[in-house]
Amino acid sequence: MPRAKGRSSLLALARNALPALAAIAATASAAPLPAAPLTRPIASYQISCRLDAEKKVVEGTELLTWTNTTTHPAATLQFHLYLNAFRNTLSTFWRESGGGHRGNRLPESWGSIELTRMTLADGSDLLPALSYISPDDGNPHDRTSAEVQLPRPVAPGETISVSIDFRSRLPRVSTRTGWKGDFFLVGQWFPKIGVFEEKGWNCHQFHGVSEFFADFGNYDVSIDVPARYRGKVGATGVRVEERDLPGERVLYRFRSESVHDFAWTADPDYLVVHDLFREPGIADTQIHLFLQPEHRAKEGRYLRSVKAALSGYGRVLGPYPYATLTVVDPPWGARGAGGMEYPTFITGGTHRMSPANEHSPEGVTIHEFGHQYFYGLLASNEFEEPWLDEGFNEYMEDRVVGAAYGSDNPVVTVFGWRFPVGIPIRRPLDVNRRYFRVATEDVLAAPAWKFRSSAGYAGHVYSKTALALATLERLIGTSTMNRAMRLYADRWRFRHPKTADFIAAVNDATGQDWHWFFDRTFFSSGAVDYAVEDATSEKSKPPKGLFESEGRLVEKPPADLASPKGWDTVVTVARRGEVAMPVEVALRFEGGHTYRSRWDGEARWKRFRVERGPKLVEAIVDPGEKVLLDVDRTNNGRLVTPDPRAASRWTSRAVFWMQNLVDFLTVAW
Amino acid sequence: MSRRVSAAGCFARGVALSLSKPYLAVSLWLIQLLLAGVLVLPVSNALHSLLDHSSTGSRMVADPDFGWWETIRRTHPDLLGRLPGAVEDATGVEGVKPGSLAELQGIGATAISLALLGIVLHAFALGGIFGALREPHSSLVVFGREGMRRFPAFLAFTLGALAAALAAYHWIYLVTGETWRDRLNDLDTEGQAMALTTARVVVFLLALAAIKLVADSVRAIWVARPDLPAVSRLFAGLAAAFSRPARLFGVLLLYVLSGAALYVLWIFLDPSAGGEARFALVPLILAQQVFVFLRSLLKVGYYAGVSEALTRVPSPEYSYVPAAAVEPVASVDRAPDEAAIDGPAGAI
Repeated sequence: MPRAKGRSSLLALARNALPALAAIAATASAAPLPAAPLTRPIASYQISCRLDAEKKVVEGTELLTWTNTTTHPAATLQFHLYLNAFRNTLSTFWRESGGGHRGNRLPESWGSIELTRMTLADGSDLLPALSYISPDDGNPHDRTSAEVQLPRPVAPGETISVSIDFRSRLPRVSTRTGWKGDFFLVGQWFPKIGVFEEKGWNCHQFHGVSEFFADFGNYDVSIDVPARYRGKVGATGVRVEERDLPGERVLYRFRSESVHDFAWTADPDYLVVHDLFREPGIADTQIHLFLQPEHRAKEGRYLRSVKAALSGYGRVLGPYPYATLTVVDPPWGARGAGGMEYPTFITGGTHRMSPANEHSPEGVTIHEFGHQYFYGLLASNEFEEPWLDEGFNEYMEDRVVGAAYGSDNPVVTVFGWRFPVGIPIRRPLDVNRRYFRVATEDVLAAPAWKFRSSAGYAGHVYSKTALALATLERLIGTSTMNRAMRLYADRWRFRHPKTADFIAAVNDATGQDWHWFFDRTFFSSGAVDYAVEDATSEKSKPPKGLFESEGRLVEKPPADLASPKGWDTVVTVARRGEVAMPVEVALRFEGGHTYRSRWDGEARWKRFRVERGPKLVEAIVDPGEKVLLDVDRTNNGRLVTPDPRAASRWTSRAVFWMQNLVDFLTVAW
Repeated sequence: MSRRVSAAGCFARGVALSLSKPYLAVSLWLIQLLLAGVLVLPVSNALHSLLDHSSTGSRMVADPDFGWWETIRRTHPDLLGRLPGAVEDATGVEGVKPGSLAELQGIGATAISLALLGIVLHAFALGGIFGALREPHSSLVVFGREGMRRFPAFLAFTLGALAAALAAYHWIYLVTGETWRDRLNDLDTEGQAMALTTARVVVFLLALAAIKLVADSVRAIWVARPDLPAVSRLFAGLAAAFSRPARLFGVLLLYVLSGAALYVLWIFLDPSAGGEARFALVPLILAQQVFVFLRSLLKVGYYAGVSEALTRVPSPEYSYVPAAAVEPVASVDRAPDEAAIDGPAGAI
């Protein structure tokens, strides 16, 4: 049961807030928003909240309007109370994350969300009927999902209103939400209703790696902050009001339609930059960049990357439909707030000394913008099918970043100073190599919290998906792939697509059945590995033995075989991985001749013979690098005549640098 | 009246001495080459086996291939183990932990062993260098004799300095990193965090420099004052280091800067890159070895510079009164110019 502490003060807050909510409703029609919602709202919120910047607490009142869109009645309501993930070390999030996130230790700064009032429109008090649930792991200590029994079921098609008072205590930023000093990123901060499906409620707990799932609706949120945050508050949607309040405070009101979450940020140090994205065929978008003063020099890089993303994603998946995009640059020490997406609101992140070819903040900004599609518009279930948002977005990010910026360069950090290394990292293959380290550990198509490790989750959900889709693109062609992606995006905008829906879009776009491909990639833990095991080319020799000549057998071969010219070539290509893919095999001969052959790749090996042809130079399996899931490309090509140059040079380098290492280690003492 | 000689003068004189006795640099170069040469066969065999028949090899003649490197690290953990990660950790914000040694394998582990062996051989070489520098007509024979003669003491100095350096890494760099890890995130800007990390590094490097200068001073005085008992020589060496810290530090700084300039030049010219278009294999190897030899010349020059700074040019403010000249003990083969420390200028 929720704690009753502080209830009286919250009731007072609620009493104060109700007139504000009424005012919101009265002025809604005057707000500068699109005339009609982009989709039918299912879960809409009117929230009025107040930030206590010193106590790191947000107190609020929420009016939830929810419609049962299924064909059966709902006897209960289920809610996400995700700030309780930070309540203590017994939460499922804390247990699964092992006290760390993205390689950083979680600070012992606790967060929570307490419900102090929950009533229906008729005044029925729901709070006594509230209980915490743990549908995923049965953890009795987890408080991130809750269920409330209704006095009477909500009938199919019926809409109800629930009024809730809540008090959210924010943690020090570590995972997508929290504070650092005066900086606030306020996400997952209000009681959010789950998704009611035909099979019942879908309301997962907050996990170590997974993200979110919610229904679309309209948000009208008033945020009351201290006056020092004037002009430094950004949020989901469009800002429709700024008003001074008594007591050195200021109120901001934001509205957003057809979204499924709401986040906001405030930091008195922000440099706020406004820009406009305009491109023929794509609707104009107002860009609001909330930049840290330390990253002033990155302003242009942020804006250019946002525009590249709006253009790149928009051309393939259809225009970004919202009027604004807010981009947040978190401060130092709040990296856990970076690289996160909320509807019309993303957080980037960069380093003070990030060289241009590291593409930071470009990569993360483009990635997070991509989630406006894969999560925002195509609101798949991030718990149950995380690849549909992270993996698909990774694939598109590789395309957009690659087109706009080319290859990345790795960065070496020496005592905190970052230096680029002149080795190109190609997209999508090189940036997704983490998959190869965990290739056979998990099946990609698994719920987010059921991967063996966070490395397994990232390697599969992000990288395997991206490599699989890039492989598919190379198999069916980029234009066909674009058609499939667009079909999928158009069909499922503002809905909850599943993997089967994407496969259907691919099948429709290609006119072929590609289930086999997804069975072998998304639904298999097998690895792909093709190799040229042997490649020889020897001078053709005359045959020996008995041959027919003028009706009798002689030991002399016929004249046309007696002095063969050319070379006999034998190449053996093997499938070393469990998973088969169609591959091309190229035999490159002297004189520039190349023989290409398609192999379905099903058998364990295939042998190619060429008699009396030119001499083979090399044999390559998958020469066009189409099958990007191949876990070991170093065995994909084989030279007939060994070329020792590379090995000799790298040996000399190794010895040289070993000499330098010996010298370095002996110099200090 | 004594004349003051600057650190630059000492270093220049040291380099001149180094050039006049090139066999000292040759000896250092040979030691490093032989140590590194141990790796030639395993590295060469592994690379030829992996690259000679591979189509990837032709792409790697000039430049590294990121995919190849990543794949080899993954498929052959037996080659390097976690050496690349340990190197990255060592220069990271938090530093490398002692447990990293347990994760090294194959060539990576061998490299560390060779480096440790290099430290031991270096102790021998320093005895030879310091001894031979004081001989007007020295040779490789003198180098070897002096090296062996002083090996036990110099090995003790080297191990002591190594222990002090590791302690400095632990206490100055690692412990502060661990202590300030959370506070680092509390700072307002990344610039402040970088400044703090840089300050840690600078303090650590200064400590390393101090350790090195003390060790080198002890070595120099150990050779210069064979007339003193061992304990007195040790303390005389320690005192010498503290008597001329600025000049010694100047010599060290010039050595580090000139060495760094060589590396910058190497990276700028980049004779390894460009493949066959720029350097064939043999010229490439020659260029590499010339580079190492030049660096060895500088290194000998530095030691000669330290010796110069401590023994050849007395400082007028230095109050130590040298002991009366004594006849060397019969077993000590003292060179004619092996004079007492801080004798009058020109007496040596």
